[in-house]
Amino acid sequence: MIFFEFAQRSIRLHWLRSLLAVLGIVIGVVAISSMGILGNSLVLSVGEALSDVGDTVVVYPHSGGFGGGPGVQTNDVITGRQVQQIERAVGANDVIPLHVGADRIKVGGEEGVAQVYGMETTDIPLLLEISEGVYLRGASGAMVGQALAETYDLDVGSRITVGDESLRVVGILAERGVGFDINPDQAVIVSDQWYTSVYGEEDYDQVIVKVRNLEDIEEVKNAIDATLNRRETVVDVFDTRMILETILETFSTISTFTTAIGGISLVVAGVSIFNVQMMSVTERTKEVGIIRSIGTRRREVMKMFLYEAFLLGFLGSAIGGILSFGGGYVALLIMLQDTAYLFAPSSLVYIPYGMLFGIGTSLVSGLYPAWKAANLNPIDALRYE
Amino acid sequence: MGDRVSTDQPVIRLDHVSKIYPLPFGDVVALDDVSLDVERGDFIAVMGPSGSGKSTLLNLIGCLDVPTEGDLYIAGRNIRELSDDELTDLRRDTLGFIFQQFNLIPLLTVRENVEYPLVLKTRRRESKGLVEKLTRRVGLEEELLSHKPSELSGGQSQRVAIARALINEPEILLCDEPTGNLDTKTGTLIMELLEEVNQQGKTIIMVTHDPRIAGYAHRTINLVDGKIA
Ligand SMILES: Nc1ncnc2c1ncn2[C@@H]1O[C@H](COP(=O)(O)OP(=O)(O)OP(=O)(O)O)[C@@H](O)[C@H]1O
Ligand SMILES: [Mg+2]
Repeated sequence: MIFFEFAQRSIRLHWLRSLLAVLGIVIGVVAISSMGILGNSLVLSVGEALSDVGDTVVVYPHSGGFGGGPGVQTNDVITGRQVQQIERAVGANDVIPLHVGADRIKVGGEEGVAQVYGMETTDIPLLLEISEGVYLRGASGAMVGQALAETYDLDVGSRITVGDESLRVVGILAERGVGFDINPDQAVIVSDQWYTSVYGEEDYDQVIVKVRNLEDIEEVKNAIDATLNRRETVVDVFDTRMILETILETFSTISTFTTAIGGISLVVAGVSIFNVQMMSVTERTKEVGIIRSIGTRRREVMKMFLYEAFLLGFLGSAIGGILSFGGGYVALLIMLQDTAYLFAPSSLVYIPYGMLFGIGTSLVSGLYPAWKAANLNPIDALRYE
Repeated sequence: MGDRVSTDQPVIRLDHVSKIYPLPFGDVVALDDVSLDVERGDFIAVMGPSGSGKSTLLNLIGCLDVPTEGDLYIAGRNIRELSDDELTDLRRDTLGFIFQQFNLIPLLTVRENVEYPLVLKTRRRESKGLVEKLTRRVGLEEELLSHKPSELSGGQSQRVAIARALINEPEILLCDEPTGNLDTKTGTLIMELLEEVNQQGKTIIMVTHDPRIAGYAHRTINLVDGKIA
């Protein structure tokens, strides 16, 4: 195609300024892509760190004054009667009441403090996965979180002193990550019976409801709310999926925002393409006059200049696309210290994404100059020196 | 193109054509009520003092501009009724332009310059030796085909321009001072070429200041203040 040929030669003839325009697009594309990759990796890594507890409804005693919520230590409790009410409200779904406390622990000579969860031994498999040993069955004995086991060098069969009582470790839990219900990685799990007898606490600190059917989450929440909070608010009900979604949404917004900031550099690149194309049109006014006078249509002149803008954008985007791997890698290395998410498809899409934006920007920037060239008066253009 | 022109109809017809340029200090009447019939195969020289409207006349016939008043027919078609694309196609297919400054396209080689109007028309590169044939016809060495226009002499450039103007076999050639930038000897050679092209059937309208050059034409039109004298 002869107009494509024109565009190529014009770029080659003015290679220096073309190069600068291409460089602008390269930077823009790399900025958009690596920001996108970074943001997406952030979302992915957050999503993974927050273990998949989307099917859980968590009930805490209402904290009265200060907003409360997960992690806040209060004196409020959930009574056995309230647990029964919850059980009735949620039907076939599993209800897991928990005692939550903290105590000194000692392993061999090492001492420390750990979170202690007390629960019915039959409930443990519903909530937690095991990596070594067996699930706790009897009244005494303990299970420990993966991180705690590593810190204190605990194995199945090791002994651990919780408070003043010595317990045998029967199982080690699989790593679970940060959760909204419980955080067992650094904790000791004991039986309900043991907890009540040692700490003398009958009431519960938290109730977890495992919802079998994800669509029922809302219904379960409402049922608990309706049963217990009828007259006054006595419990706070959270569903972890909502919390997870809110957090992920927040991160996606941040990610979109950083990508948009990358987009600003594309705007700058667009301005540079616009400049180069305006220069090209001005310099080639006479040439436009010639080709118009010997039978080139307006649309064809327009095409010729748009091809030029497209070629600059395409070159910039192609180079930018390749460099985006590097850009994304560096961004991940600096910000997340982990480059594993670079090759996730949802990260990689930001590269063609950035490239499309690069080409789009070039075309849009080239539109007015091309239009201007196409609408030059051939007689005036011919006279132009 | 539906309405084919019958051969006895003039190939160019100006019917009371005026061209007025509106300017802040009063309108400039560049052409004033000009009527003119040009028969197929005619060779007309347009002369007149500077500013008399010669280029204006040529631009109108060349479909680069439209009359302010009156009607202008090119190959039987009233250009007032044509769209910009149709005017453009008329320039490409029916008209050939030869300029004083040659006006070759600097980005293209000589061969590409010559075949450019044909590529515009057919959308593909010429392959049947037409360019070589034309090159011979205008007296240009074939080795020059791969050169860039900037490497040519004035005479060579004008020959390339003539070849380019002829490649779509137009009915009309429009020449604005075709020898204006050439020395006398080269100018004579170019005029002999144009004379030959005319004898092969092309209608030629040529603007010139030089009475000797006008001598090659069949007849001369004198413009004074936008009127045929
Ligand atoms: N685009 C324009 N705008 C305003 N006035 C114009 C324009 N083009 C031509 N004119 C005027 O129209 C008149 C005729 O101009 P034209 O160029 O046709 O003269 P010419 O005979 O070709 O002169 P020359 O021999 O110097 O080339 C002049 O007075 C000129 O100033
Ligand atoms: Mg003139």
